[in-house]
Amino acid sequence: MRFFGFLILTALLVVFVGPFVPYWMLMVGAFLLALVLKPGNSAAFFGAGFGFALSWVGLSLYLTIDTGSELGGRMAAILGVQSGTVLMIVTGIVGFLLGAFSSLSGNMLRNLFRKKPDNIYGGR
Amino acid sequence: MKYIAFVIVVLITGLLGYLGSISLGPAPPMAPLLDPNHGFWQNMKSEDALAKEEIVLEGLVAPVHVSYDENLIPHVFAENEQDLYRVQGYVTAMHRLWQMEFQTMAASGRISEIVGSIAVPLDRMTRRKGLAYGAELGMEFIQKTDPETLLLLEAYSDGVNQYIDQLSEARLPVEYKILNYRPEHWTAYKSILLLKYMSDMLVGDRDLEYSNLRKYLGEEMMGKLFPDFPEENDPVIESGKKWEFAPIPISRPDSISYPDDALVIEPLPQPEEGTGSNNWAVAGSKTKSGNPILANDPHLSLNLPSLWYSMQLSTPDFSVKGATLPGALGVISGFNRNIAWGVTNATKDARDWYKITFETDQREAYRYGSESRKTEFRIEEIKVKGESPFMDTVVYTHYGPVVYDRTFRAERQDVNFALKWTAHEGSNEQKTFLLLNKAENHSDYNLALDHFTSPAQNFVFASKSGDIAMRIQGKFPLKWKEQGKYFMDGADPRMEWQSYIPNEQNPSTLNPERGFVSSANQHPVDSTYPYYVFDNSYEHYRNRRLNTRLREMSGITLQDMQELQFDDYYLHAFEALPVMLELLGNDASAESQAQKYLQELKNWDYYADPNQQAPTLFYLWWGKLYDSIWKDLSELEGPIVRPNYYRTVKLLKNETQGEIFDLKSTSGKETASTHVKQSFGAMLEEMKTWEAEEGDYAWANYKRTKIQHLVPQFTSLSVENVYTGGGAGIINATSSRHGASWRMVVEMGEEVKAFGIYPGGQSGNPGSKFYANFVPKWANGEYLNFDLREKEEEASLLFETVFTPQL
Repeated sequence: MRFFGFLILTALLVVFVGPFVPYWMLMVGAFLLALVLKPGNSAAFFGAGFGFALSWVGLSLYLTIDTGSELGGRMAAILGVQSGTVLMIVTGIVGFLLGAFSSLSGNMLRNLFRKKPDNIYGGR
Repeated sequence: MKYIAFVIVVLITGLLGYLGSISLGPAPPMAPLLDPNHGFWQNMKSEDALAKEEIVLEGLVAPVHVSYDENLIPHVFAENEQDLYRVQGYVTAMHRLWQMEFQTMAASGRISEIVGSIAVPLDRMTRRKGLAYGAELGMEFIQKTDPETLLLLEAYSDGVNQYIDQLSEARLPVEYKILNYRPEHWTAYKSILLLKYMSDMLVGDRDLEYSNLRKYLGEEMMGKLFPDFPEENDPVIESGKKWEFAPIPISRPDSISYPDDALVIEPLPQPEEGTGSNNWAVAGSKTKSGNPILANDPHLSLNLPSLWYSMQLSTPDFSVKGATLPGALGVISGFNRNIAWGVTNATKDARDWYKITFETDQREAYRYGSESRKTEFRIEEIKVKGESPFMDTVVYTHYGPVVYDRTFRAERQDVNFALKWTAHEGSNEQKTFLLLNKAENHSDYNLALDHFTSPAQNFVFASKSGDIAMRIQGKFPLKWKEQGKYFMDGADPRMEWQSYIPNEQNPSTLNPERGFVSSANQHPVDSTYPYYVFDNSYEHYRNRRLNTRLREMSGITLQDMQELQFDDYYLHAFEALPVMLELLGNDASAESQAQKYLQELKNWDYYADPNQQAPTLFYLWWGKLYDSIWKDLSELEGPIVRPNYYRTVKLLKNETQGEIFDLKSTSGKETASTHVKQSFGAMLEEMKTWEAEEGDYAWANYKRTKIQHLVPQFTSLSVENVYTGGGAGIINATSSRHGASWRMVVEMGEEVKAFGIYPGGQSGNPGSKFYANFVPKWANGEYLNFDLREKEEEASLLFETVFTPQL
């Protein structure tokens, strides 16, 4: 359940905050979400990963269908992949990696704090 | 343990974020490119989906209303010219920003900044030709002489810049995203540079090749193979025109000696074969309605985004519509309520080369008659993507830049030739178009043309009041016979251009008796024109076909003129093929294929329509024949040009047994018929391969017209295998990479009726539905309605935007 909840939260972040910030700000966002909500390592990793991936694929799919543009296929040819669909999958994979690892980092940082609450301002 | 795991995961995250943000090899940074909120996916949106009702534009005096018709053609309604051009800049940038900038980068030798060191030789070449130098002089000239135009140039560039400044990552043209760079600010200078770029695209010279030929062939043979005028000269200005001026006397110095080095350097890149154009106007006496009709179709390399961008520009004083060049102000080929005009290239050997004799190795001075003149050094800093800049020193003489020297392509010999070119002299071509846009009659047109220097153009004209006219305008040096045909000695002051032909002595005609004016890049005049006229590239076919048709036509309608622009008649084949068939005799192999091809050729009506097979056969056969006849010439060391098709056909017909056909490199004696037979065999071979590999040899399938993206490597952004007829030397001059880059026909009646089309689309964005949507219609010979629009007109309106001044 935590996985789905976290997935949806990440997707909302990507879809609604994404248009206003560059992708690395979304990575920071996913990191902070996990840090605050501590969903657990696997929910953080897969939830944010799929949240990112599905929203990136969803957005590119929506744009492709909505506009009827052939740009996907044209870009695929320039980047040396087979088709626009493959490029969409690549987009999803890149999104997954960015989301999953950012979020996992956040969750793991939180795990560190949990064991040593006294060292919270200590760094090290 | 947890610390270590955390550190590892954070490192991976950081690495992913970092790798996503940098370019790996030639690839752009992947994460921003793929991010659907900002990356290329955003470029899928078409302009109508992004329409804004209102845009605040600083510097406007009054609101400006822009209506886009169903083809995304903007119609700009402003209260004054400054507002008009400010909005022209903004709107053009909205649809064509990447292209505008890329073309000026190319013109100023800055491609290395975008693609890296691979482009350094290209950039050095561009700079050594002095394009940017010419644009700087042009800019100074305008600053000094024409503050009014300067103001408008600055308004335009401010419009472009206001667009750039509000541009979001998502809306950035996709080429910037792929090539990973960002637009910089536009300037008035860049608009001037763009017009110089046109000069470079359209102006060539063959001085090097002719120098080599002269050395190998001698004067007499040169005259035979490269006569100054063709037998059937059908010039731009009608033959028999009386020249009503007293020519400036000029005489050829006696005892000229040309530099006699064997020249094995590479020639400058030339405008490609097939870059030419047609324009004509017919008087009311020849039209059905009684109104003059004007037509123009400039042929250029077929590219996407298209070179042209259509617009209507209106103020309370005038309304002009037609084709604009993104980056330049106003309409370049178009019409207003009173006049219409069009352009074709009128090259007349505007570039000459002078051998420079430096006094010392330091190249600080060179010999000029009995004196010694100082050179100037221009340091060109070529910035290179990812590397340190490349510094190049170019030596300038009073003639112009020394293009080739010991640091640039000097592998084979000491070169040191200076380039003299009218594009290096201050001029104000922009003014011509600004004035034409609002011209009302023939004398306004003449005043506008007086500002035009380079690249020389045949300006056709028609007016509502019933006038038709043609004027060949450029700054033409006054030359003695054969001056500048070959490389000249720069140390001999007698080789200098003495002065220029005054504007009023440039060839022109107004309302000629024959009822039409026309140009198709042929000889400008007949041999009675008092000045020396020479160029290697004059057309011999399109002009004669065009004039034949115009002479015989009457009761002409706009539709007739559209059909004439799309005329596929292959005059060269009509003249050459019967001679070839006769010389072949009954000697062709009895092979069934050979007989089939011969039958197709014999039954051919000489139209190069897309579904015809005979044009392919003829084209191949002729190509092989031509190569075979001039084999000896082609094998000479150093670059040369071969006699043109027209001359070659004449020789085939009239000197069948002539010495000319005997190849010195073989032991036997060849005649015209030997070449014809051999080339027919070679054509059979090639056709066999073609039929085996490709099957269908219909003309369109063989020539494969391609409209190529400005970055040739982006093949998927190009349109390939366009099904259309025509070819080089045909009025519909659509060959594989060149053709009518813009077609326009206009009838100058009480209400102007106009049609236009170009092979592309209004949008420069490859993701937009307006990117290449005109191509199918263009390929079919169809047109778009180009009538002038009224501000409040609702018909076929896509959307409207109001630009408002900042409060």
